[in-house]
Amino acid sequence: MSAAFSEAQVIQQSAAPSWAQRFASTVKRLYTRPASAFGASVFVIFLILALFGPFFAPYGLNQIIATEARQPPSTAHWFGTDNLGRDVFSRVILGAREILTLSGLGTLLAVISGTLFGLFSGYQGEWLDEVIMRFFDSLLSLPALLLALLLLGVLGPSSNSVLVVIVIVYTPIVARVVRSVVLSVKNKAFVEAARLQGESLGRLLMREILPSVLPALAVESALRFSYAIFLVASLGFLGVGVQPPSPNWGLMVKEGRNFVNQIPWALYFPAGAISIVVIGVNLLADGLKRALQAPGSE
Amino acid sequence: MTEGPGEEPTPAATEAATEPAGTQAGTLRIAMQPIVQTDPGFISSDPEVLVANHIYDYLVDITAENEIAPRLATDWQVSDDGLSYVFTLAEGVSFHDGSPLAAEDVVWTFDRLRDPDLGLPTSSLYENITSIEATGDLEVTFTLLDPNPFFLFDLSDNHALILKAGTEDPSVFNGTGPFVVVDYSPEDRLIAEANENYFVDDQPQLQGLEFIFFSDQTAQVEALRGGQVDLVMVISTDLFQSLQNEPGLELLQVATNGFDLVRLRADQEPGNDPQVIQALKLATDRDAIYSLVLQGFGEIGRDSPIGPLYAQYYTEELALPGRDVEEARRLLAAAGYEDGLDLELHTPDTGNRPNLAVVLKEQWAEAGVNVEVLVEPESVYYGEDGWLQVNLGITGWGSRPYPQFYLDVMMKCDAIWNEAHFCDEELDELIATAGTTMDEQERVDAYQEIQRILIERGPIIIPYFFAQLGAINDQFQGFEMKAFPGRSDLRPVTFAGG
Repeated sequence: MSAAFSEAQVIQQSAAPSWAQRFASTVKRLYTRPASAFGASVFVIFLILALFGPFFAPYGLNQIIATEARQPPSTAHWFGTDNLGRDVFSRVILGAREILTLSGLGTLLAVISGTLFGLFSGYQGEWLDEVIMRFFDSLLSLPALLLALLLLGVLGPSSNSVLVVIVIVYTPIVARVVRSVVLSVKNKAFVEAARLQGESLGRLLMREILPSVLPALAVESALRFSYAIFLVASLGFLGVGVQPPSPNWGLMVKEGRNFVNQIPWALYFPAGAISIVVIGVNLLADGLKRALQAPGSE
Repeated sequence: MTEGPGEEPTPAATEAATEPAGTQAGTLRIAMQPIVQTDPGFISSDPEVLVANHIYDYLVDITAENEIAPRLATDWQVSDDGLSYVFTLAEGVSFHDGSPLAAEDVVWTFDRLRDPDLGLPTSSLYENITSIEATGDLEVTFTLLDPNPFFLFDLSDNHALILKAGTEDPSVFNGTGPFVVVDYSPEDRLIAEANENYFVDDQPQLQGLEFIFFSDQTAQVEALRGGQVDLVMVISTDLFQSLQNEPGLELLQVATNGFDLVRLRADQEPGNDPQVIQALKLATDRDAIYSLVLQGFGEIGRDSPIGPLYAQYYTEELALPGRDVEEARRLLAAAGYEDGLDLELHTPDTGNRPNLAVVLKEQWAEAGVNVEVLVEPESVYYGEDGWLQVNLGITGWGSRPYPQFYLDVMMKCDAIWNEAHFCDEELDELIATAGTTMDEQERVDAYQEIQRILIERGPIIIPYFFAQLGAINDQFQGFEMKAFPGRSDLRPVTFAGG
């Protein structure tokens, strides 16, 4: 421990911490709070399941074992089997990839587009800002789930549609957060100086303003991610998003709901997975916020 | 299976001290989906038919065994050429408003039902009728254009409830039926009490009926469990399973001819190649579907809408090919799909259909058929005739009392709901023969041939016939559920509780 401590001292003495160092110190701060540590660990565990799920899953994703339908949890089937004889444990594990990929990729795209809109709109100001932000406000005036249902009604149900929905629903929110930070820094001296040096708009936004936005953006991304998981599961539950036999946890809950009296495990395990991941990512977002708010104050 | 028709109601020593004097006792509370239509000419849903069936009367009825039984008509004669039917009506029948039933009422009712200008769903069903006349105070004569061996079944169509001649508003519940409406609050409940002047002796046995509307099936079953209602007639398999061992309930299970139809369009790729159709049939494991999707209720299907319920018309003598994945692969390769075949499978989101789609996807995958399942809300699937357009789809078909209906509306070349777009001249001729001949043996032979053709080359898979599941409070006796639950008869039901 003392070695690590002295190392940290050395780092702090160096002029500007590198990306890797900043990441390491953020992670370190995350793990000082139990709740944040729990959230981060849950996220990492599910990330590993998503990446290496097929390695852990004892059965195939949609493998139907007709003779073993509706079995309670046992050593052969840890979470039991569903009404069609599929292993619930395998489906929950393999469902992690589906839900984290969809919500992760959707969040990433929404963050990128939201950041671009927010930077540009906030920096340009004037009528362009008005037009973009009022349009986003109009999107935000609709409840997210309602907007998602409307969009899916137009696009038709599929994984790609769900992705598009996440991007459209969350871009305005991210853009708003980014824009508010941009407004607070765009008149600061260092931005002014860069402008006077004749830097191009793109360079100005990316090199000078973006770094100030990053902490808020990281927190917002984590929050968006947890809501995206929720949205993907909700759409699965409503049956308008991904289609069976996808192992989307929301869809599994929808299917299991019909059989709750007979085979409750087919409902409770995917429902539990949703809760744990959403709580985990929320705690992570919260921890990230605290860790980034107090840079250097250890 | 549940018991058959209830025993003759015996005047058992009654302990029902609190019941008012009279022959009738007990109010049966029925949980069901809300009704919308109350005009008998337009009713369609199961609950609507059930309500109407107890406020009005049919001319003739259909028993649980699919036989024609007298109702308002006590007797009838058919001419030798099969073109003229003379019905004698029961005596002493009166409408709830007190006016007596006359032959004119029957004439007026059927003239209304067949009037093409009124937009009633029965107008095409009764196109074959040339005239309906009152040939006596209580005698009605129907004359047909062509012989129709199923005419009595047609007369007992769900809509053919007898109204009073000249009724201006057919939704006011003025029938001759066993129960009289006391109160109707839409989307809440409909309360009816026994018709004291009902023309059948000793019927109804119950004092009243209460139809209580629930839009959610789980809530219906919970109400039954909690004793707030006495009868639920449409229960999903899983909810039905949860009622096993529930004290105080009698579980009801009736075989029906309702089925889910998996069909591939025969007029476009890949279904226009008979080898593909054969391959899909060979790749399907019916036993697994039966146990997984139906959980062992109902019957395994044989790719024809003529099910075991139609006794003499149904045959198992024709061999249905067993599952053979290798042969399916070979046929697909021969049809040019050696690298696999991609198909989109459309299905409504109701009943067991999504489960069937998922199981089929897995089974067919073994033969190299890659299916993408698309579950759609029922209103979308059937909306704008989309279900008639999709290449591969699953459609639910309800139970009917005779098989000709399915063949006429979905298997003939020019049938209005020919969703498989299948056209086979030999089949068409057989359907025409079965639907017009007055020679019973000829009809039996035609139906068997039809089954052979559909097994051989019909672009359809009928994996199962489902069972109708329900449950009733065991204090009520003598209830016999029918394959179409709305046509169940509550008149002989008795209350044995205190």
